Amino acid sequence: MSKLGVHDLSVRYGKLTALSDVSFTVAEGERLFISGPNGAGKSSLLGAISGAVRAAHGRVEMDGDILSGHSPEGIARRGLSMVPEGRRIFRALSVQENLMVGTGLRRDRAAVADDLATVYAAFPILHDRRHANAGALSGGQQQMLAISRALMTNPKLMLVDEPSLGLAPKVVDEVYDRLVALQAQRGLTLVIVEQSSARAARVGGRMLLMRGGRVVADGDAASFAAHDLLSEAYFGDPA
Amino acid sequence: MSLQILFDALSLGGIYAIAALGIALIFGVMKLVNFAHGQFIACSVFALILPSADAVAVLGLGALPAGLLIPAILLFGAGLAVLAEAFVFRPLRNASPVALMVASFALGILLQNLLLVTYGGRPKAISLWPELGQPVRLLSAEIPLLQLFVIGAVGVILAGLALMLKRTRIGLEMRAAAEDFGMARLLGVRANRVISGAFALSGALAAVVALVLVAQTGVADVRMGGQIMLVAFIATVMGGMGSLPGAVAAGLALGAVSALLQAFLPPEARPFRDAFLYGLVILVLLFRPQGLFASASAKPRV
Repeated sequence: MSKLGVHDLSVRYGKLTALSDVSFTVAEGERLFISGPNGAGKSSLLGAISGAVRAAHGRVEMDGDILSGHSPEGIARRGLSMVPEGRRIFRALSVQENLMVGTGLRRDRAAVADDLATVYAAFPILHDRRHANAGALSGGQQQMLAISRALMTNPKLMLVDEPSLGLAPKVVDEVYDRLVALQAQRGLTLVIVEQSSARAARVGGRMLLMRGGRVVADGDAASFAAHDLLSEAYFGDPA
Repeated sequence: MSLQILFDALSLGGIYAIAALGIALIFGVMKLVNFAHGQFIACSVFALILPSADAVAVLGLGALPAGLLIPAILLFGAGLAVLAEAFVFRPLRNASPVALMVASFALGILLQNLLLVTYGGRPKAISLWPELGQPVRLLSAEIPLLQLFVIGAVGVILAGLALMLKRTRIGLEMRAAAEDFGMARLLGVRANRVISGAFALSGALAAVVALVLVAQTGVADVRMGGQIMLVAFIATVMGGMGSLPGAVAAGLALGAVSALLQAFLPPEARPFRDAFLYGLVILVLLFRPQGLFASASAKPRV
């Protein structure tokens, strides 16, 4: 059984179709990149999976459970966590409070403390600044906080929307290194929206290429980087 | 004399602050300006007495000893607000803020008319805790005992609320939801629990205001909710919509300025005290239209 199953998923905003009949599955422990130009439907896809955006039709399953129709908090409670576009950290809360917001769904108090220690070990800067207002962190630190905050819900599946957005290349590499290490450590299944196929290829994993609300290609990220499929998706069919 | 003004300012400002908090709490989590809040206060006032058209009220709930009366009326206020949320605002959860605001007006008018039908339109005399009218000598001033109780109660409520928001799970969830409700839900924070919690707190605060108003004025009047609602709403705006410290500070400031004007305006200008007060409000808002303490959450949505 696949970890995540997306079947004929469509999203419309009024008359605009953002996502049309998208289907794919993700295996347990897999790392899937979703790439494509602006307006390809990547964020709508993550929104519809997480319950933040209502799907026009189609269904989403996790471990065989149907997620579609549940509230975002209901879906989070089933083990799906989201690192949203723009990070959306709670700026007025302290770093540690940010990390604790997502632990309300857990009953395993001791494991929460362990996870906090794990997160602080992975991101020592968050530990150093745990009492500071999260709004005072740098962009890279905020991205690490957003990832850590999602991990604190103890997810089985994590969706990460454009973790590289607005960050210096060196910081992006660091964020990905940590993400990959945490995935290996915790056996997470990851779905990551990433504009740059070169970066996806460097990190490694499977990649879906989207365009105009549809999946146009599905394969190994490394093969996309070498291939001109991506530039085709961005700039249209070669003449 | 000056000590008397200080106590007037603190007790009046304290009540404004509690009323403003009731509005700011709900605005914070769901961007709803709840114009029914004044009627939550009025309903809590009338919950103290038995329905009748007489000019002198017969105490119902209000006849209980204070140790029972206070929790009972707080529960009444909280319950009323939670029911209002469940039946009026929850079905409109995804409606525009304007639709929510209009719904709150409608609810307020409905509640006011329910009171008119059951209790009649005439103001009623209520005698609640008459022993609190006793003056107490404090240094050079004579302070009504009630004022000391009000100031003490306001202090305890503000400290308790701050502690609850800072130290409890529901407090953390409310603060997170006030900043970004969608994100909080993606982290498993239950929208219904947070919103019901905010309404329950807001309703309990409305009941506190009701108790103090009745004890101070000795009157139950259907219109009293609207008057305090106006001041509380102004305090919320001045404080920066949704900022809880802002609402408290602005409420205290309004009470203090009001007490000062009452004390120092020449007698012939005193009937126009409120005109001076609101003139100052306009001045403040001209220079700080975002309020004294603009909250981060109010900005991106406007």
